[in-house]
Amino acid sequence: MLSDQIQRVIGPFKEFGGFAGTLYILDRLLSSLSPQLRLQFYEMMVQPIPDQPIIGGRFANSIDIRRIEPGAPEIELMPARKDIIMSRFAQGAICLGGYTKGHLIGYIWLSFNSYEEDEIRCTYVLEDHAHSVFDFDLYILPEHRMGIGFIGLWNGTNKYLREQGIRYTFSRLTRYNTPSRKSHAHLGWKCVARVFSLKMWCLEIIIAGIFPYFSISFNRNSRVQLTLSPRALGFQHEQHYRQRGTLK
Amino acid sequence: MSNDIDRLREYIRTEMDYPDHIEADVDLLKGDILDSFSIVQLAVWIEETFNLELEAEDLVRDNLYSLDSMLNMINNKRASAN
Repeated sequence: MLSDQIQRVIGPFKEFGGFAGTLYILDRLLSSLSPQLRLQFYEMMVQPIPDQPIIGGRFANSIDIRRIEPGAPEIELMPARKDIIMSRFAQGAICLGGYTKGHLIGYIWLSFNSYEEDEIRCTYVLEDHAHSVFDFDLYILPEHRMGIGFIGLWNGTNKYLREQGIRYTFSRLTRYNTPSRKSHAHLGWKCVARVFSLKMWCLEIIIAGIFPYFSISFNRNSRVQLTLSPRALGFQHEQHYRQRGTLK
Repeated sequence: MSNDIDRLREYIRTEMDYPDHIEADVDLLKGDILDSFSIVQLAVWIEETFNLELEAEDLVRDNLYSLDSMLNMINNKRASAN
């Protein structure tokens, strides 16, 4: 019994490290006091879209990628609320589905130019909007997890985006989502910025590693704008810009 | 048979950089020894090493969670090929 409780305290430190582990425990404590109290810790990631498939051979071609349009039957399989799904379409986001032998195995949402964060009061703006997308709500149906699902969907999405001249995908990861961090590590991600949010009823404080670094708001309509740049990718990014002749 | 399982074990130990002995029934997915990326690499290796053809539908948890389950899948594929 006691060892279970000790493990619950030590576990987050072992999994996330000292700093993130402390924030995790604080968030658990706050949210146990009230659902109106939250301490969020996000990492904004950028992944390059490689010129080559990330998986080879027959497996690379075993997943078909198709757009899921509003009203499609696949929408019934999505766990997100229908009004949220409709608002995503209304914002101009698109949804790509991965299929094997005609059956949906998972989907990913992509937003162009910007993405309205739905958990905290901020908007992510893509600096290089002509070559970037923001991906969110990547979902693999349970029976296809730990199989071809994630990598197959990502590989197919890369192909779709590459054909449209997109070079980078940005993602927002919760710091505590260890499996997702590991998966993105395989994709060559780099951290663009860390974002912390403390929500206390109507008050929300955001601290970010990028401009404007700090924001405080008292109502839902007040949103801070965070501009995401692919510069974190370093040399690869610079090389791409040199080729385009627009290195900043 | 034990030779096949030793080859699987050796591949995972080498490629996943896993230093310890792997029991045949241990859950490699729960133990974070394999993930969704390494599973696809493993599938390509199984095809080449055991001269089999796997389909995307074969890459599911039930077939890949342990050395035993992999061996079972390999044997079923061999049987259906003959």
